[in-house]
Amino acid sequence: MARIELSGIQKRWGSFWGVRDVDLDIADQEFMVFLGPSGCGKTTTMRMIAGLEEPSEGEIRMDGHVMNDVDARDRDVAMVFQGYALYPNMSVYENIRFPLRMRNVMKSDHDRRVREAAKLVELSDYLDRKPHALSGGQRQRAALARAIVRKPQVFLMDEPLSNLDAKLRQTMRVQIKHIQRQLKITTIYVTHDQIEAMTLADRIVIMDKGMIQQIGTPDEIYNDPANTFVAGFIGAPPMNLIDGHLEGGTFSAPGVTVPDLAPHHDGPVILGIRPEDCHVAETDAHLTGQVYGVEPTGDMTYLSVLAGEKLIEVKAERSYRKPLDVPEQVIFDRERLYLFNAQTRERLR
Amino acid sequence: MMASQRRKRGESRILRYLILGTWALFCIVPVLWFLSIGFRPRTEIITPSPIYWPTFSLDAWWLLWGDWPMGHYLRNSVLAIIGSVLIDLVLAIPAAYSLARYTYRGRDDIGFYILSTRMMAPAIVAIPIFFLFRNMGLLDTVWALMLVYAAVNLSLVTWIIRSYMIDIPKELEDAARTDGASDLRILWEIIIPAVLPGIITAAVIAMIFAINEFLFTLLIASTRNAYTMSVALANFTGGSDGVIYNAIALAAFIAFVPVFIVVVLIQKHLSRGLTMGAVKG
Repeated sequence: MARIELSGIQKRWGSFWGVRDVDLDIADQEFMVFLGPSGCGKTTTMRMIAGLEEPSEGEIRMDGHVMNDVDARDRDVAMVFQGYALYPNMSVYENIRFPLRMRNVMKSDHDRRVREAAKLVELSDYLDRKPHALSGGQRQRAALARAIVRKPQVFLMDEPLSNLDAKLRQTMRVQIKHIQRQLKITTIYVTHDQIEAMTLADRIVIMDKGMIQQIGTPDEIYNDPANTFVAGFIGAPPMNLIDGHLEGGTFSAPGVTVPDLAPHHDGPVILGIRPEDCHVAETDAHLTGQVYGVEPTGDMTYLSVLAGEKLIEVKAERSYRKPLDVPEQVIFDRERLYLFNAQTRERLR
Repeated sequence: MMASQRRKRGESRILRYLILGTWALFCIVPVLWFLSIGFRPRTEIITPSPIYWPTFSLDAWWLLWGDWPMGHYLRNSVLAIIGSVLIDLVLAIPAAYSLARYTYRGRDDIGFYILSTRMMAPAIVAIPIFFLFRNMGLLDTVWALMLVYAAVNLSLVTWIIRSYMIDIPKELEDAARTDGASDLRILWEIIIPAVLPGIITAAVIAMIFAINEFLFTLLIASTRNAYTMSVALANFTGGSDGVIYNAIALAAFIAFVPVFIVVVLIQKHLSRGLTMGAVKG
């Protein structure tokens, strides 16, 4: 079990910045998720914690000990990889046993521990198989068993579910969270899937262009986004971000008028509102436009309204049906409106 | 419509078999011819009139294993070839791993230098090698042949193995490293098993080149002491009895058989190894 601190971490390759000014404190037993688009620096940050990349600057500490000069094999971390990285020449049993052999765990303990780990991931019946004879989900579980077998201080998981189909992903997600709670091991999980992040994390680190955009619990990230990047990245469909102008506390953009906002932010701003906080209205509407698209999904209907040149997404009632191009009015939940600076794109409070 | 398509497909298949069959015949006839000469009496071979029902004879066989030191030459060949391949593998595997996986200044130049040793004509280094081995007192020994074969093939073996190593996902090594393995353990337990087909291919290619090596063997093996099959065959004309074609043919056939068997066994890997060595990396 370990607390991990990153201070002033930078990673450069020539003039390219992979990771920039990362300061982070991960508590013991915490499940921390690094979330962001491809190339945002999340995997690089994780690899630096694993010891597979060297930071250009900054310090990595585990339980107060500086780890920068400690080799990957001497850090007590276990990693699960996107492509599973099972050793193809070894059986599942040998794969799971490998870390025990490498770390000189007493031989007499090997068999018991391998079988315990395999049981935990429900793989006991497949120990004799080679990796190529396993399904994707089984391979992922074998990789997980290999990581947990020696009970490391830290689990690192690099998009471990991204190669699985949606249903299996959901099952594995539950399993991973369950195992993490059971073993009480500090876990860092990298993903670009916001659902995975929201469901698994104690806290989420959102990254973009090598920098941390926001750190917080899933609720904080969802309800209190720090900037337009976070606001647009979390939520499906993402938050509507409407460029407009605030004057005397009234926001206006083509087709959109929202009065009684904070007048001290007057000037060009971006108004944010999530699709589930927009409601179709008969009167007192904040937005007037034409129906551009209606997408029933069974439990709800996604409605797209064209206001000026901007498409606004609305989560409407499941029974909502209207032909295209007819006029439509939408009212925003005033409690759930967000204002962002149009230049810095930071949240205005 | 369907019938005409089927007929066309059938015709194209016949044509394909015809071409392949002709080529196979072209390749196999000399070998069979050798075999047939090798097992016929000497007089029958040099007779000018055609013989429709050849006589089977083991004269040449007994001559090869009796008067001619065939066993000695074969032993020299096997020792020199196996020794050289072992030297190649011991040197090439770590070199290939380094070229495939580590980043350091001059890596590509070193890689190119290794490959470039294969580009020059062997004759260029023949004289220096002769003097080198003479000064080392290794002339006319199997040890010298081992070293020369190993040196000649080292670049090719390194590059073939390297091209296989490049194909191994980096994640495997990262996984092994976080599991606690050292670089040597990773090489031994993860990389080598994963590139075993490549290693076998490289070894067989090196073996074939070594079997066929002639120039350096001729230079180094000045007496029968270090003769291998390739040089012995070239020097094998008979003696006081004149040219003994049947024995020459049989010896050539015996030299050919092991290579043929090995190539047939690994032909799938062989083509991959050769093309990868040629185009990758």
